[in-house]
Amino acid sequence: MQKTLLDVKDLTIKFRTDDGVVEAVNKVSLSVQEGETLGIVGETGAGKTTTALGIMGLVDSPPGKIEGGSILLDDTDLLKLGEEAVRKLRGKEISMIFQDPMTSLNPVFTVVEQIAEVIVNHQQLGEKEAEQKAIEMLELVRIPAERAYEYPHQFSGGMKQRVVIAIALACNPRLLIADEPTTALDVTIQAQVLELMKDLKTKSKTSMIMITHDLGVVSEICDKVAIMYAGEIVESGSLEDIFENPLHPYTNGLFGSIPDIDKEVEFLSPIEGLVPDPSDLPSGCKFHPRCKYAQHLCRVEDPSFREYSPGHFTKCFVHEGKLSVKEVKKYE
Amino acid sequence: MSRYILKRLLQMIPIVIGVSVIVFLLLSLSPGDPAKMILGLNAKEEELALMREQLGLNDPIPLQYFHYMKNVLIGDFGTSYSTKQSVIEMIAVRLPPTLILSFGSLLTILIVAIPLGIALAVKQNSPFDNIMRVVSLFFAAMPGFWIGILMIILFSVKLGWLPANGFDKPSAMIMPIICSSIAGWAVNSRITRASMLDVIRQDYIRTARAKGLKESVVIRKHALKNALLPTITSVGMAVGGCFGGSVIMEMLFGINGMGKMMIDALRQKDIPTIMAGVIITAVIIAVANLLTDLAYSYVDPRIRSMYARRRTIRKEVAGNGSN
Repeated sequence: MQKTLLDVKDLTIKFRTDDGVVEAVNKVSLSVQEGETLGIVGETGAGKTTTALGIMGLVDSPPGKIEGGSILLDDTDLLKLGEEAVRKLRGKEISMIFQDPMTSLNPVFTVVEQIAEVIVNHQQLGEKEAEQKAIEMLELVRIPAERAYEYPHQFSGGMKQRVVIAIALACNPRLLIADEPTTALDVTIQAQVLELMKDLKTKSKTSMIMITHDLGVVSEICDKVAIMYAGEIVESGSLEDIFENPLHPYTNGLFGSIPDIDKEVEFLSPIEGLVPDPSDLPSGCKFHPRCKYAQHLCRVEDPSFREYSPGHFTKCFVHEGKLSVKEVKKYE
Repeated sequence: MSRYILKRLLQMIPIVIGVSVIVFLLLSLSPGDPAKMILGLNAKEEELALMREQLGLNDPIPLQYFHYMKNVLIGDFGTSYSTKQSVIEMIAVRLPPTLILSFGSLLTILIVAIPLGIALAVKQNSPFDNIMRVVSLFFAAMPGFWIGILMIILFSVKLGWLPANGFDKPSAMIMPIICSSIAGWAVNSRITRASMLDVIRQDYIRTARAKGLKESVVIRKHALKNALLPTITSVGMAVGGCFGGSVIMEMLFGINGMGKMMIDALRQKDIPTIMAGVIITAVIIAVANLLTDLAYSYVDPRIRSMYARRRTIRKEVAGNGSN
């Protein structure tokens, strides 16, 4: 039995703006075992990044505020630790790779300075040794050492993302959160970066949370998957559970919107409608306005998050047996 | 980099020539007879003619200019028409107070405006920020000489803390420097605040926080260096303003500086003194602008790489790293 590294329970994050309260993350629970990779999948605005920033303790406050729940790293609740204690964990125990490599690096420092900085910050190393280690990190992400003293503007997007990965991995974190690390890159570079991350993960046995909206990436790299919609997790389970036997209508919808190379279809079948406005969420099940099985019950009551088969959870009345739908159709 | 500096220094030659030609022409063509200024209104016509001949005023204007510049090149700025002193000696006395006043103002702008701007950005929308918004607007809008008069009334007349004129001791320097820089504090703290606010929302600041750096390090190291560019532009332009403004401050506080010397010389149509003052001021402002541009490239490597060829940068930076 593997040890649980991160255990998030009922995490709720709200943003108070002039236009009202935005419920960005609503009672999200997830856990990551040691050495495991969890994929968080969802549309833009589903609250994936906010969940990650919540775990990092980097939610912009104000306007954002963590309103409830717990984030256990080993057995320590990060939400109960002081700001200073959490700061010391950031970059050392938990690291994060951000979405846009173009803007994630500081333009006025050389890449080696930016990597060495995190090493000096967390380890008892002098500038000189930290710089040496930073160069080793660069070589690990396959950037030649002679480019260490260049500035971010002298690098391409894919190389910048590799520098960002080097920064994140510099202190051998136990948990790496990758927030859409390949979204801003073009397809061939995406493949390289993914390959690199898989490689590094197997070498260092780091646990990882991979945030993405790309199911292809998930199938490549993840052991477990959580599907997020409108600030909630609507389904979670092992990679096989989600890909072979998706339960929630939203999960099915996601698969339906991917083109299949083996089938000749004229149109994809996207999910009708739009992600709801997070400051004005629908009543009952948040997905009901877009769900083709929705009935009266879904509009008034919110389904609970239940285990359907061992380790496979979902949040839908159909699977609670409260709705008389013959069968939720598999994606086609 | 050194090539760039050399190029910029060479570019100063046409600037100085252009400025001196225009000023020389304006002075020569404007009414008033320097010979009369020197000998007085009662001088005889023969004496005046002799004086004009001695001063070379009968030569064509281009020739006069040529003679003048030839002497300037060997360091001879001539003799003042009104005081009969060597212009160089006059300037040697008059330049230091003006330099202290101008660069002192500039320095206080940097010392006050940048930390203030950072504090305002970090404490955005706090009561402190809101109060400073109004205070800044007030000081940016008030003329420096008016603030100067109020300060003289308060600190010299009522309280007797500071001398009202002169520039001979540090206590006498306080009021002139504050008066000529206070608008600069206000304007530049607003600029620094605005660009800091822009920078602290950037992704790379989030990256810096994700490294677990202390917030003070994030602000001072990662945000400030990026936020400084607009402030450098504004402070660079303030150099000219401080020099021009020193004329008013020197008159107000009775400081024997370049500004006061130039006003006196203009009244007397003292061509050598005016020319020397203008040329020296032009050179100082051009050098200050060059320093501003060098400050840009110090702060932002992207600008540096536009100046220098790529390979030389790589060598330079690699050299720095191995030290």
